[in-house]
Amino acid sequence: MTVLDQEMIANVLRPIEVANGLPNAFYTDPDVHEAEKRVLFASTWACAGFAKDVPNKGDANPVSFLGQPLLVVHGEDGMVRVFQNVCRHRGMILVEEKTTLRSTIRCPYHSWCYNFDGSLRTTPHVGGPGKNLHDCIKREELGLIEVRSHIFMDTIFVNLDGKAPAFEVHAAKLLEQWQEFADRPLYHGGPESSFTLEVDCNWKLAVENYCESYHLPWIHPGLNSYSRLEDHYHIMQPGNYSGQGTVVYNPKLDDSGRAFADFDGLSDKWDTGAEYVSFYPNVLFGVHRDHVFAIMLDPQDNGKTIERIEIYYTSPDMCGDDMVDLREKNAAMWKGVFEEDIFVVEGMQRGRSASLYDGGKFSPVMDPPTHQFHEWVATRFAGK
Amino acid sequence: MIDEQRLQRDMLQAHEQNDLAALPPLYLAAAQLRESQDDIDAACFFYTHAYVYALDCGDREIADIARSRLKSHGRDK
Repeated sequence: MTVLDQEMIANVLRPIEVANGLPNAFYTDPDVHEAEKRVLFASTWACAGFAKDVPNKGDANPVSFLGQPLLVVHGEDGMVRVFQNVCRHRGMILVEEKTTLRSTIRCPYHSWCYNFDGSLRTTPHVGGPGKNLHDCIKREELGLIEVRSHIFMDTIFVNLDGKAPAFEVHAAKLLEQWQEFADRPLYHGGPESSFTLEVDCNWKLAVENYCESYHLPWIHPGLNSYSRLEDHYHIMQPGNYSGQGTVVYNPKLDDSGRAFADFDGLSDKWDTGAEYVSFYPNVLFGVHRDHVFAIMLDPQDNGKTIERIEIYYTSPDMCGDDMVDLREKNAAMWKGVFEEDIFVVEGMQRGRSASLYDGGKFSPVMDPPTHQFHEWVATRFAGK
Repeated sequence: MIDEQRLQRDMLQAHEQNDLAALPPLYLAAAQLRESQDDIDAACFFYTHAYVYALDCGDREIADIARSRLKSHGRDK
């Protein structure tokens, strides 16, 4: 087991003017990655998927998140729940592929059957052939193991250790900051509004790159035409999220003037405002007056991350066939931006193999959102 | 008169063809046959399969019948 250099971790926690970034081991060491699963993911609310994948009652979506088999189920009562995807009998994986269940979750091994709310419905032959009861098999104690979950902006957050504060408490500041978006229904744009990128970098580099605007004029020069560096501001909420906002959002996807409809009743701020937030640990949100997106960072190992991007619109009318070309353009625009970032996050990952690299030096003016994320990581590893 | 051998053959064929929807009525028929012969253990074995496969395919009617018989024999709840 890797012993982290506590002096280097303490160095991250110093004021930004004198701090260094996280040491290389946080990006290159498989042992640290394993520790992160507990310290940075299981103990808080992390994104494990999207509710759009289970739109109807009975829909079940198995997901592997940080190596854990989870099962997302849309219940008869309309609730979306997350379970560990294992039978309480022999630990068999219950559902292997995304499917629509008819009326039960049946283990393919001995056919123990569960209701969509996780309760154990029947235990075939458990007391012998044709005898489905036994005094030792207390069905009320053997329901599926439910994982605490909460859906926010269609994003399914899970708290794997079950000990984090309620999501509403955990996310209170973001809910307040984005109260104009938080409770609205969102409408996923369909297949053309969903894409993934596989990136050879540690997941944290994707967080770090997303939350700062410093790189925009160099990596995304196309944005300079209408969104200059000075049009951006930092978004900072210590221990929770960091990011950037712009004051000149002005989408032009179509020369004919067609555009997506805005959300109703937004305040003036959003006429030209847009905000992009890394919500720790692994969700990158973007909100605009006419669409929002969420990016789930799904760490595969210490050096590989799958970025899953989902784009949502303001009403069902924006998701019809007559708007498909606009949705395609919007998705292509964002995909292009995110692909421009790949070489830097992969370059930084390779750079973390430089044994004398000290974690780097922050710009006190441009890097506060990045430093705040490093502080969050370091604080949790320092046990503070 | 139920042809038990044909029932067995149809069950095997449905399993081989992975025709889940065909299974609940076949197992139900087998269960009812054994119940009519007072072979309650065998009947409940088949009722159990009728119940499970009916749940799996969303055949509520057979699921209710099978469960009800299992309950009446004290084999499920």
